[in-house]
Amino acid sequence: MPHKNELHNVSPEIVLEFLKKTLPFNELDRDTLKRLARQCIIDFYPKNTLIFKQDTTEVTHFHLIQKGGVKTYLKDEQGQVTLKDFRGEGEYFGALPIIQNTTANLNVETVEDTFCFLFHKEAFMELLHSAPKVTTYFLRSMSEKLVRTAYKELRQHRVSTRTEGSLYLFSAQVGAVVKGEPQTINAEDTVQNAAIRMAQLHIGSLLVQDAGGEIIGIITDKDLRTRVVAQGLDYQTMVKWIMAKPVQTIESHAVCFDALLKMMSNRIHHLAITRQGRITGVVTTHDIMVLQGTSPLYLFREILAQRRAEDLYQLSLKVPLVVRSLIEEGAKANNITRMITILNDQILDRLLTLMIEKMGAPPVKFCWMLMGSEGRREQTFRTDQDNALIFELPEDEKRRLNTIEYFRIFSEEVIEHLVHCGYPRCPGNIMASNPALQKNLNGWIKAFNQWMITPDPQEVLNTTIFFDFRSGYGDENLARNLRKHLCAMAPKQEIFLAHLAKFCLHSRPPLSFFKNFIVEKNGDHKNRLNLKESGLVPFVDFARIMALKYGIAETNTLGRLQLLHEQHHISQELYNETVEAYEFLMQLRLIHQLHLLEEGMQPHNYINPADLTDLEKKTLKEAFEVIRKIQASLNQQFRLREI
Amino acid sequence: MQLWPFARKKEKEHPAFAQNHSWFTNIDQNQPIECYNFVVFDTELTGLSGRDEIVSIGAVHVRDLKIIAGETFHSFVRPHKITNATDSTLLHRITPEQLAHAPTLKEILPKFIEFCGPSLLVGHYVSLDLGYINKAAKKIFRSTIKNPCLDTMRLAQVYTDICWENHHDQFNLQVSFNLADLSRDYGLPAFSQHDALQDSLQTAYLFIYLIKKLKVQGIVTLKELYTAGQKWKRIF
Repeated sequence: MPHKNELHNVSPEIVLEFLKKTLPFNELDRDTLKRLARQCIIDFYPKNTLIFKQDTTEVTHFHLIQKGGVKTYLKDEQGQVTLKDFRGEGEYFGALPIIQNTTANLNVETVEDTFCFLFHKEAFMELLHSAPKVTTYFLRSMSEKLVRTAYKELRQHRVSTRTEGSLYLFSAQVGAVVKGEPQTINAEDTVQNAAIRMAQLHIGSLLVQDAGGEIIGIITDKDLRTRVVAQGLDYQTMVKWIMAKPVQTIESHAVCFDALLKMMSNRIHHLAITRQGRITGVVTTHDIMVLQGTSPLYLFREILAQRRAEDLYQLSLKVPLVVRSLIEEGAKANNITRMITILNDQILDRLLTLMIEKMGAPPVKFCWMLMGSEGRREQTFRTDQDNALIFELPEDEKRRLNTIEYFRIFSEEVIEHLVHCGYPRCPGNIMASNPALQKNLNGWIKAFNQWMITPDPQEVLNTTIFFDFRSGYGDENLARNLRKHLCAMAPKQEIFLAHLAKFCLHSRPPLSFFKNFIVEKNGDHKNRLNLKESGLVPFVDFARIMALKYGIAETNTLGRLQLLHEQHHISQELYNETVEAYEFLMQLRLIHQLHLLEEGMQPHNYINPADLTDLEKKTLKEAFEVIRKIQASLNQQFRLREI
Repeated sequence: MQLWPFARKKEKEHPAFAQNHSWFTNIDQNQPIECYNFVVFDTELTGLSGRDEIVSIGAVHVRDLKIIAGETFHSFVRPHKITNATDSTLLHRITPEQLAHAPTLKEILPKFIEFCGPSLLVGHYVSLDLGYINKAAKKIFRSTIKNPCLDTMRLAQVYTDICWENHHDQFNLQVSFNLADLSRDYGLPAFSQHDALQDSLQTAYLFIYLIKKLKVQGIVTLKELYTAGQKWKRIF
């Protein structure tokens, strides 16, 4: 309620109250909100008013709908109308044209009598520059539209990038994004030579230098398309006649967001990066999209497009970023880990394909097997490599040696590449380059038989990860046949299964008698809880042992549980509880590790119960209670007390 | 040279009023309505009798038929009679303390006139509010304000009329032209009542709603608006 004599500077309550409960303005502090509210203009549009006309209306104001609703649609030259969406109270329009400094990108028409809060574009841009949270919000919600309108090149890909890790836009400096020296061409050179050079280098632009080595312009593949080929110019035309000049530049320490804004406002796709006045590289919209592009689909396509193993390194590092966007989308941990697995598989697939292209076709059929969490399709962030090889061994001695030599080189190089991609070596040397893990099918069958028939209590634990194998690349039949054998053998190996079950009981649910969490007593992780060992492993072990007992080929923990339930090996109640608890623990671990990664730390599995909310603590305790139930069930199934 | 030495010295007109009068001597009524600037205002009174007084004034600018939410005017007014101050507590939730420290109309009126500038005035049943303002202005400044006024109540009557004409609906004699009722019937965002600023904003919403609705019906210039109002007056 205004007091006394507040002439001219009363922040309109109605605007203030509305902004306070509207995303993303609710993030702003009260003073900023007040300032914003004071700049508000309220307008009314009767039903069926065309507020923005596509490609025509100069957008001077950001519109926030107070009451009513609008539809947005596109109309092409033939008058064909494509309805985009409806926006109602608390939603907005006009942000994109303001940011891009263009005319309206689509038609906006009221479908009801509509009142809007209008903010002048200068006020809006000022807000964007001063409140990163608000910027992030708009950028994220608009990125789909950005892709559609600002990056025509990418249009055919139909990239869905609704959820980029836009934050990286604000932290990554352009200088850090660009690899390699700037590529140049002489101004007097021909456009054909420019095209040849760009094709050889797999790049989309060249800087143009004059005789003195001064950079005077830039030529892009779009220029070749629109200014040479489309115009019917001679291929011997000199570069300097068609280049764009001067080159737009940006300081190398500028953040990518600024680069993006500059490109968008100038409607260009390339910026030269300068460091102390010297041009050190070229950044493209594509580079920024790649940086920003953590949508799974985008990454997937990028991986597929790579022609050199080395180019996969950078992409692979982006896989964890997918997690953030998926978590924001509300995806469950199970879906997230499966998505990561698909991307990791894709990287492996690409890598091995490139290796084979390089080394020539392998002499025999082979299968690159994945084990452990990779085998179970439960990867989160960086996990150690666990892999092995099956390949046929020819009878002929010479061919046999050749084959072994081929796979020695092959596996060593692949593993080296994988390390560069960010998958550390397995400390236990469970890797395909280990000669002990290169066997033919029979060799593997024998190995499994030995582990199962004469189980060495010391070895049982170390061999469990092998039981989660699946095919990663190559001839799937090899892995399938091995699995078939295992499914037939395992259910009969009662002693082996009993040993496994016993190990499951070793891990005590981390609840003390006082219903508090049992935490680590010593070391770096004092007073912390190991989510993996105490929480997740018991579920994984339970699913594995039950799957082996009932001859189930599936390796994914939730998949195993589902099949076990469908085949009536576990009760509906235990199934439900197990799945819920396991998913919760996975989710908690994912978010925890993501948080660590974003803080610049190595992801680990230790959480401090004090950091959890009451609800999380409660749910976590309930999840641990389920472990007791699992253990009780194992006890009963394998009659462990009788052994 | 003095013709008549006993004549009362004519008091010099307050500059705010002089300026006000100069603005409205020649008004071109043939411009489209959105070309005019408006100030939508409301006053709160202690009551409706002749002895009653203004206790607060609220106003907001409307330009290009858009409400300029940041350009508002609000002030409490210290009544001359102390009883009026206590009475206002009941209806407007204004405390006697607030009024005791408030400026008097003598201070407020020139500021209000200055705030309005060359804008036309808009109010809901505007003749009542303007009547009280000018009564006080006459008493204090021996002058009145000359801004042409538009009455949203009258506009609502015109609009209702046109809607009926066009739709051949049954004549609804129950329709209420009270500000809150109209706002509700038209689906406008609601404001709290009995606060001069809130009421003026509510009236401003009603105003731009009606003007834009009437524009769709072909009423485009200020003159056409006045004529439509007159016609309505003749019918009743």
